[in-house]
Amino acid sequence: MSRLLRFCAVICLARSFVGVCAAQDFHVPDSAVAGAESSISTTGSGKGIFYLVGPGVSRKSDIVLGEEVQLAAQDLRNAGDYLAIVCSGTCRSESFFVSASKPANLTFLVHPSRVPVALGDAVSGVAFPFDRYHNLVLAAENINFQLTAKGTSLWSRSVRTQNGVAWFRTASGKSAGPLQVVASLGDLNTPRAVQQVASDPCNLRITGQRTPKGILVQTEPIHDCAGNVVPDGTIVTFTATGAVGMGTVDAPIKQGVARAQIEVLGPTTISVASGVVMGNEIRVGAQP
Amino acid sequence: MIGTTTIRTVSGEFPIRFAVAVITLCVLLFSPVLKLHAADAGVQVQLDVKNAGPRAVETLTERGILRDYRFAWTSMAQALESNTVDPLAGAFSGEAMQWLRQTVASQQKSGLSRRYLDQSHRLEVVFYAPEGDVMELHDTAEYQLQIRDGDTPIHDEHVTVRYVVLMTPGADRWVVRQLQAVPQF
Repeated sequence: MSRLLRFCAVICLARSFVGVCAAQDFHVPDSAVAGAESSISTTGSGKGIFYLVGPGVSRKSDIVLGEEVQLAAQDLRNAGDYLAIVCSGTCRSESFFVSASKPANLTFLVHPSRVPVALGDAVSGVAFPFDRYHNLVLAAENINFQLTAKGTSLWSRSVRTQNGVAWFRTASGKSAGPLQVVASLGDLNTPRAVQQVASDPCNLRITGQRTPKGILVQTEPIHDCAGNVVPDGTIVTFTATGAVGMGTVDAPIKQGVARAQIEVLGPTTISVASGVVMGNEIRVGAQP
Repeated sequence: MIGTTTIRTVSGEFPIRFAVAVITLCVLLFSPVLKLHAADAGVQVQLDVKNAGPRAVETLTERGILRDYRFAWTSMAQALESNTVDPLAGAFSGEAMQWLRQTVASQQKSGLSRRYLDQSHRLEVVFYAPEGDVMELHDTAEYQLQIRDGDTPIHDEHVTVRYVVLMTPGADRWVVRQLQAVPQF
């Protein structure tokens, strides 16, 4: 047993002379911030190899034990876990975390891009703060959401981020036109636009008159219940019912009005609908 | 003459069939698809969706997340072990793809490589956007991390790492856009 101990002592002594048995110790940063320089202090003597392994970095360099190892800002751009390894004969490792720096970008997703007016829970937005190196900022931040239309504020709310995300959901405005949706955090503003369009037609009414070719029917100017003009292209369906049966004509709204020529001779009842909305019904007599 | 021809045909076909069988076997044994499945089998993923909100996670989405997150880690492990970016395609995008590319390039330069073995991931959905276009997850991952300098192992440790993950739906799968380790959730 004593011979074995003596043998080990001799080996260690011999190795220490060649500088590879030097006891290396080192200390990683307690807290590091993305994109900021940092350093690792080492103890011991002799030469060693330093490795830095982390997200986006895999560095290897020769070091002198007992001196500080500088970590460049470039090496610590990505938030996450890093592993520092110092090898000098044997290898030792320590891990440390790099956290995101202050918010520099606000990613803001808003839905939908087109929305009918006066619809509950129709507009939603999600915001994520990121630092200048695109790391998600997980520290709680207050994000202000604001909805404005035609220079008037419709809705605003301050939401604190939770797990790096803040979100809202609200009703659309009352009038058609562009809706500005802005997320702001300090000096950062991220605007988005939502086009508000008229909702379903309201009080859909038609008039009709005999012509030599049949019956010409047309709607009154079509608005939704808030008075917004229903967009051109919206389909209006006219249904004619007479002695010979029933027929339908689909006509798009043009300049706020939909028109159709129905070729029928006898007395006819004509009704109108657009989507799920029904309008009035008219009766037109037979061709004189 | 006919008999001779027949003998030639039979004796010629046998080596061809044998060669085809051998080649097929080799292709099957060494195909990347099989390797992927084999590697995939080493990645265990559990998903908890009960705290998801404001949108509930649909069953099909749940399956998709499980499949695609497992695929992402399989791809990442392959890329960082073999120091090639090819396996990353389709599984990552955005910032996650960016730093993984940087890592591969940095490893190629320094001669290092990493292995993620015996992976086990406990995933929890903590946020699912109202319109379903982004999901945030917390992953408590456990694996054996091995780091090599060339052929020399310099680090071998069983670790538990917590990741904040952002995934978004792509054309036919969910992709990892952010994969950021944190000290705690």
